[in-house]
Amino acid sequence: MKKELDKNIVIKVTDLSKSFNNNVILKNINFELLEGESLAIIGASGSGKSVLLKNIIGLLKPDKGSIKINNIEMVNLSRNLKEKILLDLGITFQHGALFDSLRNWENIIFKTVNKEKINNKQGKKLAFSIIKQLGLHPSILELYPSEISGGMQKRVAIARAICGNPKILLFDEPTSGLDPVTGSLIDKLIKTAVKTVGGSAITITHDMASVCRIADKVILIDNQTISWSGTPKEMFQTANTKIQEFIKPINSEILFK
Amino acid sequence: MLNSFLNFLGTLGTRFIEFIAKIGHFFIFFSGAIYWILKPPWYIKKIFQQIIDIGYFSLPVVGLTTFFSGMVLALQTYNGFTEFNSETTVARVVLTSITRELGPVLTGLMVAGRIGAKMAAEIATMRVTEQIDALGTLGTRPMQYLIAPKIIASLVCVPLLVLVGNTIGILGGYTIAIYKLSFNPSLYLYATIEYLQLIDIIQGVVKAAIFGLIISMVSCYFGYNATKGAEGVGFATTSSVVVSSVMILTSTYIITALFFG
Repeated sequence: MKKELDKNIVIKVTDLSKSFNNNVILKNINFELLEGESLAIIGASGSGKSVLLKNIIGLLKPDKGSIKINNIEMVNLSRNLKEKILLDLGITFQHGALFDSLRNWENIIFKTVNKEKINNKQGKKLAFSIIKQLGLHPSILELYPSEISGGMQKRVAIARAICGNPKILLFDEPTSGLDPVTGSLIDKLIKTAVKTVGGSAITITHDMASVCRIADKVILIDNQTISWSGTPKEMFQTANTKIQEFIKPINSEILFK
Repeated sequence: MLNSFLNFLGTLGTRFIEFIAKIGHFFIFFSGAIYWILKPPWYIKKIFQQIIDIGYFSLPVVGLTTFFSGMVLALQTYNGFTEFNSETTVARVVLTSITRELGPVLTGLMVAGRIGAKMAAEIATMRVTEQIDALGTLGTRPMQYLIAPKIIASLVCVPLLVLVGNTIGILGGYTIAIYKLSFNPSLYLYATIEYLQLIDIIQGVVKAAIFGLIISMVSCYFGYNATKGAEGVGFATTSSVVVSSVMILTSTYIITALFFG
């Protein structure tokens, strides 16, 4: 029975701590992401949410603790194996991190080109099929990231993350800087990606409306640790003052409709 | 008083250790870069793009600099040597100075200013905007994809630029000698060819290859390790040009001493 449960854990973080120059950012972080689950991580700016994500994808090394992706220990894993695992993840960075020197369609299919040999025509076709879902006009495919708006760049970054249908998606503030309509579109896309592909997602966000739309589970990082976790509905019932501060401006009835 | 002195010693020691650590850090980067230069697959398209950028687009600035240097050299040599009635040595001085020193050094400094700064700024911007982090998560090694093509292209292009720069510099000297100093064209050309030695050309090309390595390695290092946003990009750019230039001037002496010392 336990073995069955372990199988469903996609990401497991145990006792993770991270500090920079004696400045403790994260202390004893524990959480699990299950298969088919969408987890939202919330917290004030500078609380360490992005640091946590960077630890998970191996860009930072935790001071202590364990990170398992599909039951494989990531801390101290060889670079080759880590890269293989990362190829099955879809990741967006806080500011998009699109490659300036490549056109948008080249950005979108960058990882797919590394995994399988496809020609330019196939690549453009693949990029086109993805941006259609994100409400982007095909004309942006031939442009460079610097030639499109910040909101469009964000969507191209999401397109790059979901290209190839990865089973695990990690989004760092995917809807920040987007208008409510586009934000809602991105939320739907994350939800669809999780439900249809049977994938799992971790989304770091400040957008509580987005949390209510996409998350099955929410964790709050405060004072270097996870100070609260629960479902989006439980957020509106909890006595946790920090959570109440986050949800104060939100009308839950409208959101859950 | 004693405390101040101890504090001074402490600061000095800390700075020294930091300096040694930075040198160690640079050599780790250097050996990593060499490893990725030798390891396939090579990004041929990226190498070709860099060759166009470093080689082709640096030609005007290198050509202009060496042409005028050749002209100045011919004029100054003539002015200096007329006192001793040795005008005929102008061709020899221009040839030797350009092929051994001025050609490689001026080309190196021009490439450091134009290409080194560009490389450092480009890579530093990619670093501070998380593009290098993103590369790592997309199944691509940043050292192999970003750094190796730049170093390979520099190693190929700077020697070629020096050969072209040498020719243009000698042409600059010829132009002044013939059209301003009224030298006999045939005699000047004959003297130039007579004094042309293979070892001078080899030395220039060896210097150029080392300068190419210095410029690309230093620029990529500062860019790759940039921090602190826009300020970090500026720091990386300035540092790469300053350090490359100083290293070019230092190493040119060492190489000359090894060849002719």
